[in-house]
Amino acid sequence: MKSLSSRPCKADKTVMNRWLRIQAGPIDETALRQDRTISRDIGAVIYFLGVVRKQEGEAEISALDYEAFEKMAVHQFQKIFDEVERRWPIESVRLVHRIGTVSVNEPSLWVEVTAPHRGEAFQACQFLIDEMKKVVPIWKRPVH
Amino acid sequence: MKISVVFYSYFRELTGCSNLSVELPEGAALSKLVAELQGRFPKLKAMEKSTLIAVGLEYQSGNYVLRDGDEVSLFPPVQGG
Repeated sequence: MKSLSSRPCKADKTVMNRWLRIQAGPIDETALRQDRTISRDIGAVIYFLGVVRKQEGEAEISALDYEAFEKMAVHQFQKIFDEVERRWPIESVRLVHRIGTVSVNEPSLWVEVTAPHRGEAFQACQFLIDEMKKVVPIWKRPVH
Repeated sequence: MKISVVFYSYFRELTGCSNLSVELPEGAALSKLVAELQGRFPKLKAMEKSTLIAVGLEYQSGNYVLRDGDEVSLFPPVQGG
Protein backbone atom coordinates (compact mmCIF):
# COMPACT_ATOMS: atom_id res chain seq x y z
CA MET A 1 0.00 0.00 0.00
CA LYS A 2 1.28 3.45 -0.87
CA SER A 3 1.98 5.71 2.03
CA LEU A 4 0.24 9.05 2.09
CA SER A 5 3.54 10.87 1.75
CA SER A 6 4.32 9.15 -1.56
CA ARG A 7 1.10 10.30 -3.22
CA PRO A 8 1.41 13.23 -5.58
CA CYS A 9 -0.26 16.35 -4.29
CA LYS A 10 -3.57 17.04 -6.00
CA ALA A 11 -3.76 20.53 -7.41
CA ASP A 12 -6.43 22.76 -5.92
CA LYS A 13 -9.63 22.64 -7.89
CA THR A 14 -9.94 25.69 -10.09
CA VAL A 15 -12.84 27.95 -9.26
CA MET A 16 -15.57 27.87 -11.89
CA ASN A 17 -16.23 31.23 -13.49
CA ARG A 18 -19.89 32.27 -13.45
CA TRP A 19 -21.73 34.91 -15.38
CA LEU A 20 -25.50 35.34 -15.14
CA ARG A 21 -27.94 37.84 -16.61
CA ILE A 22 -31.71 38.02 -16.35
CA GLN A 23 -32.55 40.73 -18.83
CA ALA A 24 -35.42 42.37 -20.66
CA GLY A 25 -33.49 43.11 -23.85
CA PRO A 26 -32.63 40.70 -26.67
CA ILE A 27 -29.80 38.18 -26.29
CA ASP A 28 -26.83 39.38 -28.35
CA GLU A 29 -25.25 36.10 -29.44
CA THR A 30 -22.48 37.81 -31.42
CA ALA A 31 -21.38 39.85 -28.41
CA LEU A 32 -21.54 36.81 -26.15
CA ARG A 33 -19.32 34.81 -28.53
CA GLN A 34 -16.86 37.70 -28.81
CA ASP A 35 -16.65 37.98 -25.00
CA ARG A 36 -15.71 34.31 -24.60
CA THR A 37 -12.38 33.67 -22.91
CA ILE A 38 -11.02 30.17 -22.42
CA SER A 39 -7.83 28.81 -20.92
CA ARG A 40 -5.43 26.44 -22.68
CA ASP A 41 -6.94 23.52 -20.70
CA ILE A 42 -10.28 23.78 -22.47
CA GLY A 43 -11.25 21.24 -25.12
CA ALA A 44 -15.00 21.77 -25.22
CA VAL A 45 -17.15 24.86 -25.56
CA ILE A 46 -20.82 24.16 -25.95
CA TYR A 47 -23.73 26.52 -25.93
CA PHE A 48 -27.46 26.02 -26.00
CA LEU A 49 -30.20 28.34 -27.15
CA GLY A 50 -33.76 27.94 -25.98
CA VAL A 51 -35.97 29.48 -28.65
CA VAL A 52 -39.67 30.39 -28.50
CA ARG A 53 -41.78 27.96 -30.55
CA LYS A 54 -44.90 29.07 -32.40
CA GLN A 55 -46.93 26.29 -30.77
CA GLU A 56 -47.83 26.49 -27.08
CA GLY A 57 -50.06 23.54 -26.28
CA GLU A 58 -52.88 23.53 -28.83
CA ALA A 59 -52.62 27.21 -29.67
CA GLU A 60 -50.46 29.13 -32.07
CA ILE A 61 -48.77 32.09 -30.42
CA SER A 62 -46.78 35.13 -31.51
CA ALA A 63 -44.62 35.42 -28.40
CA LEU A 64 -44.12 34.40 -24.79
CA ASP A 65 -44.17 36.88 -21.96
CA TYR A 66 -41.65 35.92 -19.26
CA GLU A 67 -41.83 36.98 -15.63
CA ALA A 68 -39.26 36.28 -12.92
CA PHE A 69 -38.96 36.60 -9.17
CA GLU A 70 -35.52 37.95 -9.96
CA LYS A 71 -33.79 37.93 -6.60
CA MET A 72 -34.80 34.35 -5.93
CA ALA A 73 -34.04 33.33 -9.53
CA VAL A 74 -30.46 34.61 -9.16
CA HIS A 75 -30.10 32.81 -5.85
CA GLN A 76 -31.43 29.53 -7.24
CA PHE A 77 -29.23 29.78 -10.35
CA GLN A 78 -26.20 30.26 -8.07
CA LYS A 79 -27.14 27.13 -6.13
CA ILE A 80 -27.34 25.17 -9.40
CA PHE A 81 -23.95 26.59 -10.43
CA ASP A 82 -22.57 25.44 -7.04
CA GLU A 83 -23.75 21.92 -7.79
CA VAL A 84 -22.34 22.02 -11.34
CA GLU A 85 -19.00 23.12 -9.91
CA ARG A 86 -19.10 20.34 -7.33
CA ARG A 87 -19.88 17.61 -9.89
CA TRP A 88 -17.80 18.45 -12.95
CA PRO A 89 -14.48 20.18 -13.77
CA ILE A 90 -16.16 23.06 -15.54
CA GLU A 91 -14.09 26.17 -16.25
CA SER A 92 -16.97 28.56 -16.89
CA VAL A 93 -20.71 28.87 -17.12
CA ARG A 94 -22.44 31.83 -18.72
CA LEU A 95 -26.21 32.08 -18.79
CA VAL A 96 -28.69 34.67 -20.02
CA HIS A 97 -32.45 34.38 -19.52
CA ARG A 98 -34.90 36.83 -21.01
CA ILE A 99 -37.82 38.39 -19.20
CA GLY A 100 -40.59 40.37 -20.87
CA THR A 101 -41.95 39.60 -24.31
CA VAL A 102 -39.93 37.23 -26.49
CA SER A 103 -41.21 36.68 -30.04
CA VAL A 104 -41.40 33.33 -31.82
CA ASN A 105 -37.98 32.30 -33.17
CA GLU A 106 -36.15 34.54 -30.69
CA PRO A 107 -34.00 32.99 -27.96
CA SER A 108 -35.28 33.20 -24.39
CA LEU A 109 -32.30 31.31 -22.95
CA TRP A 110 -28.58 31.18 -23.78
CA VAL A 111 -26.28 28.87 -21.85
CA GLU A 112 -22.58 28.27 -22.42
CA VAL A 113 -20.37 25.73 -20.64
CA THR A 114 -16.62 25.35 -21.15
CA ALA A 115 -14.72 22.31 -19.90
CA PRO A 116 -11.64 20.23 -20.70
CA HIS A 117 -13.77 17.51 -22.36
CA ARG A 118 -17.12 17.39 -24.17
CA GLY A 119 -18.70 14.72 -21.94
CA GLU A 120 -18.61 16.82 -18.81
CA ALA A 121 -19.61 19.95 -20.72
CA PHE A 122 -22.74 18.30 -22.17
CA GLN A 123 -23.67 16.69 -18.86
CA ALA A 124 -23.26 19.93 -16.94
CA CYS A 125 -25.29 21.91 -19.48
CA GLN A 126 -28.10 19.34 -19.47
CA PHE A 127 -28.13 19.25 -15.67
CA LEU A 128 -28.16 23.02 -15.41
CA ILE A 129 -31.15 23.41 -17.73
CA ASP A 130 -33.06 20.50 -16.14
CA GLU A 131 -32.58 21.97 -12.67
CA MET A 132 -33.49 25.45 -13.86
CA LYS A 133 -36.83 24.07 -15.05
CA LYS A 134 -37.51 22.67 -11.57
CA VAL A 135 -36.47 25.45 -9.22
CA VAL A 136 -35.74 28.81 -10.84
CA PRO A 137 -38.83 31.04 -10.41
CA ILE A 138 -39.48 32.16 -13.97
CA TRP A 139 -42.87 31.84 -15.65
CA LYS A 140 -44.20 32.39 -19.14
CA ARG A 141 -47.54 33.35 -20.61
CA PRO A 142 -48.53 32.94 -24.24
CA VAL A 143 -49.12 36.07 -26.31
CA HIS A 144 -51.56 35.45 -29.16
CA MET B 1 -46.17 38.69 14.13
CA LYS B 2 -46.50 40.21 10.69
CA ILE B 3 -45.78 38.16 7.53
CA SER B 4 -45.57 39.62 4.02
CA VAL B 5 -47.11 37.50 1.29
CA VAL B 6 -46.37 37.91 -2.41
CA PHE B 7 -48.09 36.13 -5.31
CA TYR B 8 -46.43 35.56 -8.66
CA SER B 9 -47.60 34.66 -12.16
CA TYR B 10 -51.29 33.70 -12.48
CA PHE B 11 -51.63 33.40 -8.71
CA ARG B 12 -52.10 37.17 -8.79
CA GLU B 13 -55.24 36.66 -10.90
CA LEU B 14 -56.44 33.80 -8.69
CA THR B 15 -56.24 35.99 -5.60
CA GLY B 16 -56.92 39.37 -7.19
CA CYS B 17 -53.84 40.90 -5.54
CA SER B 18 -50.06 40.81 -5.77
CA ASN B 19 -49.18 41.12 -2.09
CA LEU B 20 -50.66 41.45 1.35
CA SER B 21 -49.72 41.36 5.00
CA VAL B 22 -50.96 38.66 7.39
CA GLU B 23 -50.92 38.69 11.21
CA LEU B 24 -50.11 35.33 12.78
CA PRO B 25 -49.33 34.19 16.34
CA GLU B 26 -45.62 33.91 17.23
CA GLY B 27 -44.11 30.57 16.23
CA ALA B 28 -46.76 29.78 13.61
CA ALA B 29 -45.76 27.30 10.94
CA LEU B 30 -45.94 27.99 7.22
CA SER B 31 -48.87 25.56 6.96
CA LYS B 32 -50.93 27.88 9.20
CA LEU B 33 -50.29 30.79 6.88
CA VAL B 34 -51.22 28.69 3.85
CA ALA B 35 -54.48 27.58 5.52
CA GLU B 36 -55.25 31.23 6.33
CA LEU B 37 -54.61 32.22 2.70
CA GLN B 38 -56.69 29.33 1.33
CA GLY B 39 -59.54 30.49 3.55
CA ARG B 40 -59.33 34.01 2.14
CA PHE B 41 -58.72 32.90 -1.44
CA PRO B 42 -60.57 29.62 -2.16
CA LYS B 43 -59.06 29.41 -5.66
CA LEU B 44 -55.67 28.88 -4.00
CA LYS B 45 -57.00 25.77 -2.29
CA ALA B 46 -57.80 24.26 -5.68
CA MET B 47 -54.19 24.86 -6.73
CA GLU B 48 -52.74 23.29 -3.58
CA LYS B 49 -50.86 20.50 -5.37
CA SER B 50 -49.41 22.94 -7.91
CA THR B 51 -48.24 25.55 -5.42
CA LEU B 52 -44.60 26.28 -4.69
CA ILE B 53 -43.78 28.25 -1.55
CA ALA B 54 -40.64 30.15 -0.67
CA VAL B 55 -39.67 32.01 2.46
CA GLY B 56 -37.21 34.67 1.44
CA LEU B 57 -35.21 33.07 -1.39
CA GLU B 58 -35.52 29.42 -0.33
CA TYR B 59 -38.25 26.82 -0.87
CA GLN B 60 -39.83 25.66 2.37
CA SER B 61 -42.39 23.07 3.44
CA GLY B 62 -45.40 23.40 5.73
CA ASN B 63 -43.58 22.66 8.99
CA TYR B 64 -41.20 25.62 8.56
CA VAL B 65 -41.56 27.96 11.53
CA LEU B 66 -42.14 31.54 10.44
CA ARG B 67 -40.56 34.60 12.02
CA ASP B 68 -41.81 38.14 12.27
CA GLY B 69 -41.08 40.03 9.06
CA ASP B 70 -40.68 36.94 6.85
CA GLU B 71 -41.61 37.36 3.20
CA VAL B 72 -43.49 34.36 1.85
CA SER B 73 -43.95 33.90 -1.91
CA LEU B 74 -46.53 31.62 -3.48
CA PHE B 75 -46.42 30.70 -7.13
CA PRO B 76 -47.25 27.99 -9.68
CA PRO B 77 -44.69 25.52 -11.07
CA VAL B 78 -41.79 27.30 -12.71
CA GLN B 79 -41.41 27.41 -16.50
CA GLY B 80 -38.03 28.88 -17.35
CA GLY B 81 -36.27 28.24 -20.62
